[in-house]
Amino acid sequence: MRENLAQIPEQERPARRLVGESSTYEPAEGFVDELFAGPGAPREHADDLISTLDGIGRLSMVDIGRRRDEIFRQQGITFAITGPDGSVRDRPFPLDLVPRIIPAAEWDEIERGLAQRLRALNSFIDDIYHGREIVREGIVPWQLVLGSPQFRRAVHGVRPPGGIYCHVAGCDLVRDADGRWRVLEDNCRTPSGISYVLENRLAMTRLAPELFTGYRVRPVDGYPQLLLSALREVAPAPGRAPTVVVWTPGPANSAYFEHSFLARQMGVELVEASDLVVRDDIVYMRTTAGLARVDAIYRRLDDDFIDPLEFRPDSLLGVPGLIRAYRAGTVALANAVGTGVADDKAVYSFVPEMIRYYLGEEPLLDNVPTYLLGDPEQREHALSRLGELVVKPTNESGGKGVFIGPQATEEELERQKRLVLSAPERWIAQELVRLSTTPTVTPDGSLAPRHVDLRPFAVYGSELRIVPGGLTRVALSEGSMIVNSSRGGGSKDTWVLSDGRPEAVPGSFDPSANLPEMPAIPHSSWTGQEQQQQQARTERRGR
Amino acid sequence: MKFQITYTTEYSYSEPVRDNLNVLRIKPTSTPHQVLEDFSFRVDPETRLHQYRDYFGAEVIEFGVTEPHDHLGLEARMRVATREQEVEPDGGWELTETDGYRAAAGEFLLIGDDAPANGAVAALTDDVRGANPLETLLAVAERIPARYEYRSGATFVGSTVEDLLEGEAGVCQDFVHLGALLLRRLGIGARYVSGYLFAAPPGGGEDSVEVQTHAWLEGLLSERDGERRWIGVDPTNTGRAGETHVKIGHGRDYQDVAPIRGVYQGVATAELSAGVRMRRVTDPE
Amino acid sequence: MLARIAHELYWIGRYVARADDTARMLDGLFRASLQTPGGPESSSLPWEAVMAALGATDALPADGPVGADEAVRALTLDAQSPASVTACVERAREGTKRVRDVVSREMWQALNTLYLELDTSDLGSALRTGPYSVYAYVRERCALWWGLADETMLRDQAYAFLYAGRHAEGASMMLRMLRITIVPQLDERPAEGGPAAALLQAIGGLEAFRRSVTGPADAYPVARFLLFEQAYPHSVAAALELLHARLTDADASYRTAAPLLRLARLRAELEFHRGAAQGPEPAEKLAGLLEHVGDELSEADDEIEHRYFEGAAAHAHVVT
Repeated sequence: MRENLAQIPEQERPARRLVGESSTYEPAEGFVDELFAGPGAPREHADDLISTLDGIGRLSMVDIGRRRDEIFRQQGITFAITGPDGSVRDRPFPLDLVPRIIPAAEWDEIERGLAQRLRALNSFIDDIYHGREIVREGIVPWQLVLGSPQFRRAVHGVRPPGGIYCHVAGCDLVRDADGRWRVLEDNCRTPSGISYVLENRLAMTRLAPELFTGYRVRPVDGYPQLLLSALREVAPAPGRAPTVVVWTPGPANSAYFEHSFLARQMGVELVEASDLVVRDDIVYMRTTAGLARVDAIYRRLDDDFIDPLEFRPDSLLGVPGLIRAYRAGTVALANAVGTGVADDKAVYSFVPEMIRYYLGEEPLLDNVPTYLLGDPEQREHALSRLGELVVKPTNESGGKGVFIGPQATEEELERQKRLVLSAPERWIAQELVRLSTTPTVTPDGSLAPRHVDLRPFAVYGSELRIVPGGLTRVALSEGSMIVNSSRGGGSKDTWVLSDGRPEAVPGSFDPSANLPEMPAIPHSSWTGQEQQQQQARTERRGR
Repeated sequence: MKFQITYTTEYSYSEPVRDNLNVLRIKPTSTPHQVLEDFSFRVDPETRLHQYRDYFGAEVIEFGVTEPHDHLGLEARMRVATREQEVEPDGGWELTETDGYRAAAGEFLLIGDDAPANGAVAALTDDVRGANPLETLLAVAERIPARYEYRSGATFVGSTVEDLLEGEAGVCQDFVHLGALLLRRLGIGARYVSGYLFAAPPGGGEDSVEVQTHAWLEGLLSERDGERRWIGVDPTNTGRAGETHVKIGHGRDYQDVAPIRGVYQGVATAELSAGVRMRRVTDPE
Repeated sequence: MLARIAHELYWIGRYVARADDTARMLDGLFRASLQTPGGPESSSLPWEAVMAALGATDALPADGPVGADEAVRALTLDAQSPASVTACVERAREGTKRVRDVVSREMWQALNTLYLELDTSDLGSALRTGPYSVYAYVRERCALWWGLADETMLRDQAYAFLYAGRHAEGASMMLRMLRITIVPQLDERPAEGGPAAALLQAIGGLEAFRRSVTGPADAYPVARFLLFEQAYPHSVAAALELLHARLTDADASYRTAAPLLRLARLRAELEFHRGAAQGPEPAEKLAGLLEHVGDELSEADDEIEHRYFEGAAAHAHVVT
């Protein structure tokens, strides 16, 4: 049984004399290493793993790596990466063979913190599309909401079944140099990567089963069933078995492999826009037996593209009339329309406040200290320390446009200052996080510390369930903290150790367990009041 | 004034199409100076209609024609009574610089990422800036039609403000987009308004010469006592929007209030003929 | 299953069958020409007839005879013609790409390899020096495709639509061949080694014919064989039976399905005609029957498209 790292004071752990690779392992200075307490000294929960790795040795590691690449290539588990010359290549997904281990008690804390955060984000989204109370109370500035391109007025006043908006969410976490976990970013729209989590685990059990010796690792393969259950739970299909589909933009999309994978694992149809048609407010799919009603759609398209009648008129990827059906409450969309309003990096800085406002609790997980450059005071402070901070555009993803102060030249610093000053409300600055490291296999088979983050995946149906672990992304080059796979990062299998409690299994589906349908609120109270105010003013005067 | 308005649109398809879904914003709204007395709407082929009020308060009509058809005809008849909008003396620039004003103007103050910010725009902004916001609003409605040529065909429905600045010609939609940009740059909330305009023929008469829907501008003004109202001006025809302007709805730009959006299934091309007939009526004594 | 996927599979079946049948026919013709004194140019089957039989009517010149070279180019290399082997292989491959989740990796590889080989080799010169190898290669790969389909596919709707396409195409091709090459010969004096025998040899049915029918391979008996003989897998009757069987598998309401009712009626008519005729009939009668079968098959085609694939190929058009 692995004990929580934090429970045994460092000095009291037995010293180990190691033979092999690990004896020369040097954690990077100034950073926390996930598996090593010091040079040549593995942490308690990593003991068995490191011993096994020592036994395997360098050459075998390289060998196993080659086998892994071949298997992934054959199975088509690849990821598109953009080279420096702009060319796009398909590369087998780089899985590093050394897993990352999280002890049970530590995961419990992470899980509680994440659940709290997601509940608050969900409440925020509901509030924004109805009374907007948090804005009225002056906690969140209205400009962030009304000015966000993700604020979808077409669904204002609509409440999806159960009031759940973020059916699938992923929050990126990092462990800072002080050992604390922090949330780096929230992703409430279409987080991807779960298929890699599942494939990584499967690959590890096949390629290096000996590494699992001595460990009871919590399984992750229940994810597709979790997702399917959640989709069935929110589907408006009283008294009958709901029809669930996965909606993909098509094979040209870089995450198509995942869409197809999930559809297959869940046993549901994988549809494209041309397969769907809306008639009389109901969504149907075209089958060989005629039209079949669709009740819940797990969609992997951004809001902009889903309905040419309400959003981008030129989108050929959309289904005309989908929003009509959504408003009428005849179909559930996962994630709900408009969740992007919570994704925004500027909104991120208000999440601790949301937790206090909606839940009346103190946040269990901290943000990375963030400065809104649209605010003059915060901007002044940030610009004076630009060389120490990370600057990010509020509305991009995948690491695009990120400026890293400590790595920048004078010239780049000046350029970034100008960029910020030209449109300050579009930027945030954050303190540099000293990402933790973990042993990673280098090309010659030896182990070296590389920086990692963690993206757990949560599914929110009638309950909030979080997959143990998630995707650990690792920067493969020394010293780099860029972990995005589109820019050369890799991933690791993430092991959350079991503490002996039985795994909760989603129950078999019972149609009567559907969440009650809540009537769609026909039109926003916000706009109605505005009109009444105007009339009132007119009537009060001059009559 | 009272008007009888008939809005018609005919689509003719080169071959049968199906699942023809449409969203219309053509029904006049009710405001302090406008009352909708009667409204009826017909579609051919007949189909079920759905109505609701959208985020900006406009009355939306939605419908879909499922079965194959090669022709779609829409007709709306309405009767509206309008009166002049009163304008109080302006409270001055300071009143637009408060948090309260900004919150009230909300999204109508925000300038999009893609808005041009070049010399032409800067010069125009200076040009229209007046002693107070009301004068600025009136200046916008005066300078734009003076500076730019009204010419249909110069731009198209997807044109941007940049296109107008470059080509120096456009239609009411473009003039309003430009006007809204100028007002927002000066910190004045601006709304794009869609509606019907009664333009009397030169020799007088009952029928309007205007045969399409029209667009104009509303700016959020603060009166001396702190009250705020949206006041309409017409940057195509100069001057304030008055009894001759029948409002359908407003939004940030054309996309928020497009009179008709539609999608159909099929590879046919569509021929469109649309028209607005507006006639002044007098109540019998 | 999704109409779009079923539609793709049906057409993949048709294209692979068409490529296979075309390759087989051309292969057979070249082999036959080896045995005639004048070589390929003096085959008893004029090349215009061959092109028409294989559906390459739009590649036919307005007038004048067609040389072997020209015909072979049109039927093998022409990327635009729906009848050419390379065009069929390309379309089948494109379709397979879109249904990668439904066909096995081996099936994809078999087709992809064929496509790449045809795409990269200098087919023009290969056709001149040794056309047999080109066609033999195509036929081998198509046989591999069907073999893998048989081995690796679940007997579900996907399988049913793939094979329905195969058999629909087979019936259609055989009908066309009969109408164009055999019917004109029906009133001629029977002659051994004439076009009928050449056709039989070309499609590889000569041995089967000899095992099944006593008497010479004249136009009339060959026509009957290729039309009615259930035991010969490429006959019209056999193809219709298999098409009917696959659609029955695929359709939950097969008892009332329009295309199935039509096919059942058609099969019954064919069976009636087979039994009714005792001796050689006048050519018009047989020609009339072939035309009728062709019309019915065409109607059934439309009904299949309408019933199972409705809307699958439609595009949305945006208007503001």
